[in-house]
Amino acid sequence: MASADKLINTDVPEKDVFALHFLRSLSNLRTQNPLNSPDKSIDRVRKIKKAAYVSMARAAGGNSRLWSRALLRRAAKDDNKSVRFSRRKRKVTWKISSKRRRSNQRAPVVEEAAERLRNLVPGGGGMETSKLMEETAHYIKCLSMQVKVMQCLVDGLSQK
Amino acid sequence: MNGAIGGDLLLNCTDMSVLERQRAHLKYFNPSFDSPLAGFFADSSMINGGEMDGYLATAGLNLPMIYGETTVEGDPRMSISPETTLGTGNFKKRKFDTETKDRNEKKKKMNREEVTEEEEEKSKITELNNGSPKSIKKMKNKAKKEENNCSNDSSKVTKELEKTDYIHVRARRGQATDSHSIAERVRREKISERMKFLQDLVPGCDKITGKAGMLDEIINYVQSLQRQIEFLSMKLAVVNPRPDFDMDDIFDKEVIVSTPMTVVPSPEMVHSGYSHEMVNSGYSNEMVNSGYHHVNPMQQAETSSDPLSCFNNGQAPSMWDSYVQNLYGSLGV
Repeated sequence: MASADKLINTDVPEKDVFALHFLRSLSNLRTQNPLNSPDKSIDRVRKIKKAAYVSMARAAGGNSRLWSRALLRRAAKDDNKSVRFSRRKRKVTWKISSKRRRSNQRAPVVEEAAERLRNLVPGGGGMETSKLMEETAHYIKCLSMQVKVMQCLVDGLSQK
Repeated sequence: MNGAIGGDLLLNCTDMSVLERQRAHLKYFNPSFDSPLAGFFADSSMINGGEMDGYLATAGLNLPMIYGETTVEGDPRMSISPETTLGTGNFKKRKFDTETKDRNEKKKKMNREEVTEEEEEKSKITELNNGSPKSIKKMKNKAKKEENNCSNDSSKVTKELEKTDYIHVRARRGQATDSHSIAERVRREKISERMKFLQDLVPGCDKITGKAGMLDEIINYVQSLQRQIEFLSMKLAVVNPRPDFDMDDIFDKEVIVSTPMTVVPSPEMVHSGYSHEMVNSGYSNEMVNSGYHHVNPMQQAETSSDPLSCFNNGQAPSMWDSYVQNLYGSLGV
């Protein structure tokens, strides 16, 4: 499907990779908070959600994708203990989109939609529109994979 | 090889984009070209590496000359020197003015014999390329009017190309030749190409035409996926494994339930306009499970010894399965 397209590389690892990362993060959560602790459910939900995103970013390739990198960085900023994020040794330079945005020649229809997309996709703020769409494609694939994994898990756990 | 020239590279599509032309060019000269990164640098590429057989080469004319005289200014990605293959080139900016100046200077140094020879070749080329891309049409028109000048240009361009080896992009007929607008057009083509790619990815996007609608659809899809993750994480928080959890039971049930689950509900969930969450907005287990009840009776005895086959999709158990099983065990702790 996408791997056949040589120009845009959006290969995503198999489902088991995602499953592995997510289960590991869940078990970490478990060890942190024993079952009997009076956690408010909202906190627990938030933690699980964060674990889901972080594990997805890791499974998708850690630092190799812009969105996963931004996601991990955001997570590491909030909570330094559980998320390990290492800075890149070499400088990552990409197109500075702020300079481009001044130009009126960019199609306004596309650009306004791209703005909304930038708010959704992590790390979208610093990207050119074409790069943004690439990242969106990869992000969508990883999201759907993660959803499948979580659905599997939920079904398995709720069917006992 | 000559046939390949006509059929393959000089594709007869008048709406062939600038980008596609360049890429086809690159592919022609580098058939073993499969690096995804190089695809980005395929916007421009070295030309002289491929020596084309046939009459074109005999005259010392390389195909790139067809691409004409205008260079793209201001977009350094579009020029790569030939010594470095595939993308590690030196990016040089060239001003449009200096190039024309050079061309004018070279005009004076023209070799008369070359001119006549190239004139012949040029006419051959123009005959061959009937109905070829617009750039060549433009060349043909030019050739009809001023044969000499045309061949002058071609030889100049070859000389220039030997010197600089840039891809010269010729503006299409009836469109602005401003280098800015050319770069702009390339960028727009890139964006539309990526949008096509996204269109395949997002279900239900084939019916929608137009960039705005599609982008809206894509945004909605991303939002719905994120909401799904949130919803599922809530469910996971609720469905908490209790200490007296029987893990073997879970594994068996999971295998039975999940193997059809992975196949059926995902298209269901998605195609029904993301209404899955709407239905289950109460976040109650009963509502969700009732949706899947019709699936369960169909799969009865599909147990497998590998408890994690729901994730493996029936593949052979990999090495880390035992590790994950331990993790699974720890989940109940």
